[in-house]
Amino acid sequence: MIFTGEFLAFMGLALVAIIGGVLLLNLNKVIHMVVALIFTFVAIAGIYVLLSAEFVAAVQILIYSGAITIIMLFGIMLTKHDDESEAKSGKWRKLFLFLGILGFAFAVYIGIYNFNVEQVPTKLHENNTLQIGEALYSKYIIPFELTSVLLLVALVGSIILAKNDKKKEADKE
Amino acid sequence: MDLETLKSFEWSVMTPEFIILGVAALLTLLDLFLPKKMDRRILGWIGIVGILAAILSVASLLNVESTSILDDSFTFDAFGKSFKLILLVGSALVMFLAISYDAKEGMEDYRGEFYYLFLSALLGAMIMTSSGDLITLFIGLELLTVSSYILAGIRKHNLQSNESAMKYVINGGISTAITLFGMSYVYGLTGTTNLFEIANKLAAVTNGQQAYLLGLAFLMIFVGLSFKLAAAPFHMWAPDVYQGAPTPVTAFLSVISKSAGFVIVIRILISVFYNAAPTDNGEGILFKMHDYLAVIAAVTMIIGNVVALKQTNIKRLFAYSSIAHAGYILVALTTMSSNLLYSIWFYLLAYMLMNLGAFAVIQVVTEQAGSSKISDFAGLARRSPILAVLMGILLVSLAGFPGTAGFIGKLNIFVGAFYGTPHYVLAAIMIATTVISYFYYFGIMTQMFFRPASDERKLNIPFGIVVVLLVAVVGSILFGIMPNIALDFLNNLH
Repeated sequence: MIFTGEFLAFMGLALVAIIGGVLLLNLNKVIHMVVALIFTFVAIAGIYVLLSAEFVAAVQILIYSGAITIIMLFGIMLTKHDDESEAKSGKWRKLFLFLGILGFAFAVYIGIYNFNVEQVPTKLHENNTLQIGEALYSKYIIPFELTSVLLLVALVGSIILAKNDKKKEADKE
Repeated sequence: MDLETLKSFEWSVMTPEFIILGVAALLTLLDLFLPKKMDRRILGWIGIVGILAAILSVASLLNVESTSILDDSFTFDAFGKSFKLILLVGSALVMFLAISYDAKEGMEDYRGEFYYLFLSALLGAMIMTSSGDLITLFIGLELLTVSSYILAGIRKHNLQSNESAMKYVINGGISTAITLFGMSYVYGLTGTTNLFEIANKLAAVTNGQQAYLLGLAFLMIFVGLSFKLAAAPFHMWAPDVYQGAPTPVTAFLSVISKSAGFVIVIRILISVFYNAAPTDNGEGILFKMHDYLAVIAAVTMIIGNVVALKQTNIKRLFAYSSIAHAGYILVALTTMSSNLLYSIWFYLLAYMLMNLGAFAVIQVVTEQAGSSKISDFAGLARRSPILAVLMGILLVSLAGFPGTAGFIGKLNIFVGAFYGTPHYVLAAIMIATTVISYFYYFGIMTQMFFRPASDERKLNIPFGIVVVLLVAVVGSILFGIMPNIALDFLNNLH
């Protein structure tokens, strides 16, 4: 194994991303969880840069680390957030879960350690954004348009489920 | 790619999808601009007209040769045509159920939203039937599932409905993540998302390590999609979700969503993994993984049927029964016989008819009783003899008695298990669990015919329910007596 700069950078970023994810699950306060999430988001953006996907990296920072985190913080601010996490589940269950994860990690590790990936030269770094745009509006136009329907559905759904019903409130008064 | 190339594609083969999309958009706008007081059922009727138009347009396109648009991102082939028809007919029937749905804690405020979310879910399912690209397939899957999450929770003030939606979102999210992880391995090993190119590249794989990773990818994709099929041991969400969701949504989840799940399983697993990384005697990964599939099929049949025995809630019982039916279809998938497509297609057709019919009766009875206990069916024969007889026919078909579509469906799968390498154990489990299923199906029958009614009120049957029952019962008997109609139809597709 050769320790190139790219390898070290990848290891660092991957480690931060995973630690962020694990902390997100284990921390008790919501605000702390959001901070852990930001670490993961930014580290993933770094991995995108390593893969010469600059545009995706920029979008990742703008939308995930920026917009989504801010919305989450607003959500936390405007709702009741003094609840701490629920009681812990049983010891045995945790043990089995841990063994399961370990088994899966081992199975994947056997597959990927020493895995020889053929390096294919690409032109991804040249005019990265232009290439994405061209692919998106020609070859992938059908999934692209469907995604907009999907977003519309999500929007309608969140309004239905989160809307405060006037009628109920009027009943209370 | 310039505009000329884009225009040169035969976009007309997407007409059914465009109709559904257009009607969904129209309903959204109408819901916005119609006066608040107006009954939103009119939107449901427009939706039904739209679905019927889509069925007609698929029917008119039946003779069109297989075409594909934009590197197979949309492919219109015999597979897509046949399964799309099942999905569309099933959706039209569910729409009739939804129009007649009038439970106490109903969805008065969100009836309009219900109809167009339903259409968008249908659009996702239709895209899944006719796409040859991983990305498009995945987006179709997400469109279907995201719409169903909302549909499950649409009775906002009902605790069970809330629980159902919450469980569905969490389980669905995890399963999607697992599927996507598996797909990313496939993409990483081949460098393309086009299913046919992937299949070609994988057929040339000889490296043992790559084959190992492909095996992992196969398992992850299959496990993720098993959640959608509600196959054991990934079925735990189904009973709670089915119980809490409004009855039309339960019908939708158990029929349309499950059929779409099988469609994507066949699309991805068979076209990608059938010849992947072949051994010396030409057996692909699918064949090597065949034991895992067999175990899942067997466990699904056993758990579904055995746990159904002790249910007291009719919707939970049908949740377990639908798990069991998924198990039977998985047997067909496991055996990989030459009549695989026909037997799965026919089973899904029969299952669609009998299950939707049964849900129509369940909806009428549970609405009247205000609860969904099996004992509410007591004395149905006296309260409404016709309804009881029709339900009896559908139950007989679900149990798989000769003369009904359910029997032919099971027979096809059973015979298929002996093609090529015979699967005696699976076939034996299938017979044994079918016998177990008689107990709970006939349990409902005894309630209907031999128990005194606690509530002597006559049932009034809305028009929508009449339509569904008529189609379901006539279809179940017709395909039970003359299954050749379906076989000829499928053979003449090209």
